[in-house]
Amino acid sequence: MRFQNYRTLFRVAGLTCVLLAVYPALSTVVTFPEGGERFSELWLLGPGHMAENYPFNVRVGEQYSIYLGLGNHMGSSMYYVIYVRFRNQTQPVPNVTISMPSSLPSLYEFRAAVLDGDTWEKLVTFSVLEASRCENSSFVNRLVINDRAVLVNSSAIWDSENRGFYYQLFFELWVYNVAGSRFQFHDRFVGIWLNMTG
Amino acid sequence: MLHANKLCFFSVTVSLFVLSSILMLSVSGTISQKEAVLSVSEAEQSVVRAYKAVLDAERVGANVSSLLVSLNNATGLLSEARMSIETGNFEKAVRFAALSSEVGNGVGSEAERLTVEASQTHAANSWWSLVESGVVVVVVLCASVLGYRYFKRRYYMRLLKMRPRVG
Repeated sequence: MRFQNYRTLFRVAGLTCVLLAVYPALSTVVTFPEGGERFSELWLLGPGHMAENYPFNVRVGEQYSIYLGLGNHMGSSMYYVIYVRFRNQTQPVPNVTISMPSSLPSLYEFRAAVLDGDTWEKLVTFSVLEASRCENSSFVNRLVINDRAVLVNSSAIWDSENRGFYYQLFFELWVYNVAGSRFQFHDRFVGIWLNMTG
Repeated sequence: MLHANKLCFFSVTVSLFVLSSILMLSVSGTISQKEAVLSVSEAEQSVVRAYKAVLDAERVGANVSSLLVSLNNATGLLSEARMSIETGNFEKAVRFAALSSEVGNGVGSEAERLTVEASQTHAANSWWSLVESGVVVVVVLCASVLGYRYFKRRYYMRLLKMRPRVG
C-alpha cells in the first residue's frame, strides 16, 4: 500500500472518532428526527378482556360490558376525546378516507391524556333502557351508558338477509391539535353490532 | 262589600306573588345554564392550558407521568361536566367544571415548575456534555497527529532499509 492511502485511512479514522466524540454534545442541542410511523390505536375487547364474546344479541334491561382501549404512538403525550355514537344500518359511518366524522349526536364521551408509548383503557357498560317493536321495525329510545341514561331515538327495519334488527354502537377517536387549538377527528373508529331481535 | 274587596286584594296579591316567583325561577334557571356553559368553557381552557404545559415539560425532558394521572382526573371531571349540561343538570355541571378547573390549574402550575427544573438540568447537562466532547475531541486529534507522525517515521525507516532488487 502507498503512503498516500495510509494518510487517507488516518484522516477517515480520525474524523470518525471526532464525530463519535461530538455526538453526545450535539444530541443535546440538535433534535434528530425519529424514525417510524406515528399513529394511535383504538380497540374494543369483550367482557373477558379478550377479543371474543362481544355483546351481540341484546335484550331490554340487561347490562353488557366491553373494554375500550387506546394506545399512543404519536411521539409525545396526546389529549384524546372518544365520542360514543349509536346508529342503524342505514345511517353513515365516519369516513376515514376524507377525515369526515359521523354527523350523529354523541351520547357519551371519554377524555384521556396518554403518554407516548402508553395505553389507556376503560370499562364501558351499557344497556337498552327503552325499546319497542312494531311489525318489521324496531325502535331504541333510550340507552344507559356507564350509569348515565341517554336519549337515542333510533329505529331499524328488519334485515331479512341477516335476520335481525341491527344497530351499531361505535366509538370515534378525536385528538387535540395544538397548532389549531381544537379537537379534530383522528380517522379512527371502532364499534360493535347489536341485534335487537331478542 | 268590604269582604269582597279584601278577597279581591288577597287574590291579586297571591297572583302577583306566584307570577313573580315563576319569573324569578325562570330567570335563575337561565342564569344557571349560562353559568354552567361558562364554567365548562373555563374548565376546557384550564385543561388545554395544563396539557400544553405538560407538553412543554415533556419537550425539555421532564418526567410527566404523574402529571398525566392528574390531567386524566381533570379530563374525566370535564367530561362529566359537559355531559351534565346535555342532560340539564346544570348544578352538577358547574360543580364538576369547577373541580376540573382546579385540578387543571394545579397540573399547569406543576408542569411549569417541572419545565423550569428540567430546563436547568438540561442546560447543566448540555454544558458538561459540551466540555466532555471538547476534551475528547482534543485527545482524539492529538492522538491522531502523534500516531500519524509515528507511523510516517516508521514507514520511511522501513522504506530506507529496503534493498533495491534487480530483476
